[in-house]
Parts: sequence; C-alpha cells; structure tokens
Amino acid sequence: MAHVTKAWALLLALSGASTVLSVAVARGALSGGEVTLGGAAILALAWAKARTILNAYLRLDEAPAFRRGFGLTLALYALLLLALYLAG
Amino acid sequence: MTDRPDTDGSPFDDLPGDLMIWVLIVSELLVFGAGLAAFLGVRLTDPAGFAAAQDHLHRAAAGVNTVVLVTSGWLAALGAQAVETGRLARARGLLAAAAGMGAVFLAIKWAEYAGKAAQGIGVETHPFFTFYYLVTGFHAAHVAAGIVVLLLVAARAQTREVEAGVAFWHMVDLVWVLVFPVIYLLR
Repeated sequence: MAHVTKAWALLLALSGASTVLSVAVARGALSGGEVTLGGAAILALAWAKARTILNAYLRLDEAPAFRRGFGLTLALYALLLLALYLAG
Repeated sequence: MTDRPDTDGSPFDDLPGDLMIWVLIVSELLVFGAGLAAFLGVRLTDPAGFAAAQDHLHRAAAGVNTVVLVTSGWLAALGAQAVETGRLARARGLLAAAAGMGAVFLAIKWAEYAGKAAQGIGVETHPFFTFYYLVTGFHAAHVAAGIVVLLLVAARAQTREVEAGVAFWHMVDLVWVLVFPVIYLLR
C-alpha cells in the first residue's frame, strides 16, 4: 500500500475515534473527569492527524530535520491548546 | 575556487517543494493557530455559554466533512505522484476529483450555515459564534481558493505547479483537522 494511502487510512481511523469520543460525551456516556479526559484525547487525536498530514501528505518524512522542527512546534502548540482547554 | 550553484548547501534544499509555498503554509498556520488559541482563551470567560452554543452545531456533518477533506487530500497527493511519473491524464483526473471533494465540503458547509441562519444564529449571537463564523468562514474561503488552484494546476499538469497547488490543499486539510475538534468537539 502506498505511503499516502496508509496515511489516508490512518487519518480516517483517527477521525472516527474523535467522532466516537465526541458522541460519547454529547450523549452523556462520560461524566465529570471523564469528559475532560475525553477532550484531552480528542486534542491528542487532532495532534496525531496534523502530524500525519505534515509527514505523509506534505512529505516532511523526506526531510527529517524539518520534520523534527515542525513536530516540536506542533507538539508545543497542542500543549498550549490542552492547557487552555484544561483551564476552562 | 570553483563556482557553485546558489542553492548548494542551503538548509532549505531538503524541504519538499518550493520554499515560498512553505512560507505561505507557515503563515496560514500561524493565523489559524492564533485564532483557535484565542477561541479557547475567550472560552475561559464563559465555558457554560460556549458549551450551550456548541450544541447548536451539527457535529456529524462536520465529521463527514473531515472524511471528505482528508480523502480529497489523499486524491491530491496521488495526483501529485502521478504527474511526477508522467501519467498526466491520471493526474488530471485525480486532481479534478480532489477539487470535486472540496466542492462537496463547501456544499455541506453551506447547508450548515443555512441551518444556523434559519435558527436566527448570526455572528453577534454569542462570542462562540463570532469565532465559529470567522474561523470556519476563513477556512471555507481557503477551500474555495484551493479548488480553483487545483483545477488550474490540473489543466497545466506541470510538476512544480502541481506540487505547489497540492501543498496548498494539504495546508487547508491540516488547518481543518485542528479547527474541527477545537470548535466542534471539545466540551
């Protein structure tokens, strides 16, 4: 299977997981701290999707130094979003 | 001393595609990144109000749009690979299909906006919706621009142009996978 096709399949799986989590929260299947954990997991899944697009679709896999730089920046940004979410 | 090409030894030589498209991608990511961080920052002032406003959004439609856009990105990536290997007819077909998926995304977005308008929800209804319309509207404008770019590069089928156009499309995809959870899903 081509690299971009594997990336596409992974993106679909990650998007499905995000949707399942959000539906669980919306239907009240999660409560209290579980909702917060679910939100953190949704952000982690978004971070994984963004990394996949950068590395496979935008081909940063071919440029390891840039992949590390973008990866670190993206991770720090995801942590900022997580901090703002948890503060709410 | 021997003459050397200007690009020899540049740290940017390893970057896939033109440097300028990466400048554009980083600029766009900074704008949308700031918008999403500001959204979560303002949310701190009224978490209950933001949650109530978010309940008016159609999460399933936005989820479908995520599938549509990542699939469109996949088709565009395959199109770029096809043009690199000289399969121009296949490349044009894949890029046109990617643009078509972009049109599907916009149609679903249009239906979403129409639904909000029917409920009397506008930009000034709540700060949540101010951010919602600004961020998703700005993103939708990029999708519209990306469709035009994809169709233009598909028609010419030149490797460098296709590579740049497809990179722009992936940037639109990348922004959406961050916008979707932050605006639609986080409670």
